[in-house]
Amino acid sequence: MATEVYRESFERRTKTVRYLRFLEGLADTQVGPIYLGMWGALAFFSYLLCVFITAIGFGEQVGYNPIRFLRELPVLTLYPPPPSAGLRMAPLQEGGYWQLATLFLSLTLVFWTIRIWTRAVANGLRPMVPIAFSAALFLYAAIYIIHPIWVNSWNEAPPHGLRGILLWTNHFSVKYGNFYYNPFHMVSIFGLLGSTLILAMHGATILATLAYGAHREIDEIEKSDEGTHRAQLLWRWVMGFNATAYSIHQWALGFATLTAVAGAIGVLLSGPVEPDWFQWACRADIVSGLQKACVP
Amino acid sequence: MLSFEAKYRREAMDVPARASFGLLKIWIGRFYLGFWGVVALAFGVLGSGVWFWQVLFVDPNRTNNPLLNFIRGQIVPPPPDVGLAITFDPNKGFWWLFVVFCATVTFFAWMMRQIDISRLLKIGYQVPIAFGAVFSSWVTIQIVRPILLGSWSEGFPLGVIPHLDWLSAFGYRYYNFFYNPFHALGITLLFGSTLVLSLHGATILSAARKKSEGVTEENVNRFYWDFLGYSIGEIGIHRLAFWAAVLSVLVSNLCFVLSGTVVQDWSAFWDFWDYAPFWKNFPFN
Repeated sequence: MATEVYRESFERRTKTVRYLRFLEGLADTQVGPIYLGMWGALAFFSYLLCVFITAIGFGEQVGYNPIRFLRELPVLTLYPPPPSAGLRMAPLQEGGYWQLATLFLSLTLVFWTIRIWTRAVANGLRPMVPIAFSAALFLYAAIYIIHPIWVNSWNEAPPHGLRGILLWTNHFSVKYGNFYYNPFHMVSIFGLLGSTLILAMHGATILATLAYGAHREIDEIEKSDEGTHRAQLLWRWVMGFNATAYSIHQWALGFATLTAVAGAIGVLLSGPVEPDWFQWACRADIVSGLQKACVP
Repeated sequence: MLSFEAKYRREAMDVPARASFGLLKIWIGRFYLGFWGVVALAFGVLGSGVWFWQVLFVDPNRTNNPLLNFIRGQIVPPPPDVGLAITFDPNKGFWWLFVVFCATVTFFAWMMRQIDISRLLKIGYQVPIAFGAVFSSWVTIQIVRPILLGSWSEGFPLGVIPHLDWLSAFGYRYYNFFYNPFHALGITLLFGSTLVLSLHGATILSAARKKSEGVTEENVNRFYWDFLGYSIGEIGIHRLAFWAAVLSVLVSNLCFVLSGTVVQDWSAFWDFWDYAPFWKNFPFN
């Protein structure tokens, strides 16, 4: 019943549809109708506030000069409060802008997750996309909220800005003894590169078997046909193992989730649990050629 | 054998051999052999064998623990004074040259093997093309860049932790790789690939096995129109997947090959920004 009501409203909304002609032959061309809804509106306004606060903070730094703003955009940064401020609210120019922007950014992501959830269910799908997205949300929360609260300082969180976020990444790694020695970072990178590998393998396999219809995955999962058979045999003959039309997507979701979750664990353990990953590697005896540096 | 496999093996037997493809058309268990399978096997076993022997028993950093040796052991490239010479001195990186050669042949044979099997199955060559992208990454970092800089010592050491040490040092050697725009683009594409993979995997799992409830591709389309205002479609998502993954590797190749050859300092690389024509003469107060 609910689905039928939804379908009716969907038909009404199709008036707003546009088509991207340049995508013909490459991908689907239809754009819209997009759904707003309460959670979409909340996410939109929350993000608008985040952008507005960031723009005010940046604007103050360049004296509201648009040309200077453009020139300095890559290095403009909203910094979190200084370490002495701990977890307190800070004055606007000393981290307050950052706190407000981060608050609304966090709210945006939560609203966005709920929005995906409600849309998935309304369209008769299991909520796997929002569940997958919550892995990325966990990584965000670990970096921006849980870790700073654990070490009692917002200063530990990344600033907002193009260069600022890169410098933070660099400094966070060095501060905790080089993240290359952080085993959870290793697993996360394994997941990241492994995800790219699986994406290449899956994308290439399906493109190679387009002529046999392997791209109709939802049908192929129920009853596999010639395209899926050829795709499976390719990998079986090449490397002695093949996934199925269903299980390749479990591999996909698993690897992508591993990237975010392992990364979040690596961030959370840095500091309170392990202040120096190089020393951890020394204790684990896996440092190569630099053992002298391991001597305390 | 899979239930449907016999038919495709018979079909493969009828594909005529051509040059190196379709030679030694036999299966060992579930593996297809073929000419390029023999090459890959021979050089793969030889190279891996030498690597394990060096790392477990010869590397001066070895311990008495085979697992630790595996993680921290390494074969180092030749020292700078060897240049691009082919040295046979085991103390001057001969085994590095040997293993890099074996690995290069193995990777190439693996790509040819994928072409061979794609041909027997009468499908497109996208899989070997995608593998070729990552093979180009190995060739760029271990062969092309050392040749451009005139020294094998520019290659990375063959070992689990040692290659991480090399990568970490490499970033700081050119001031800081976080300022390398091709590095930034490569990382963006890597994260983008992971995002696309996550979305695609989750989407198909969310619709699969709900066909009895009437869920079809149309539900997925409507979900994506609702969610993003755009649904790329069943074929489009795999095109996006292919290009996101392949480009992440190709762009990363650029970030390596430009470092030390064209650009020595990725921070100084950005000096042009402040003097760009658009705002060069703008009166800032």
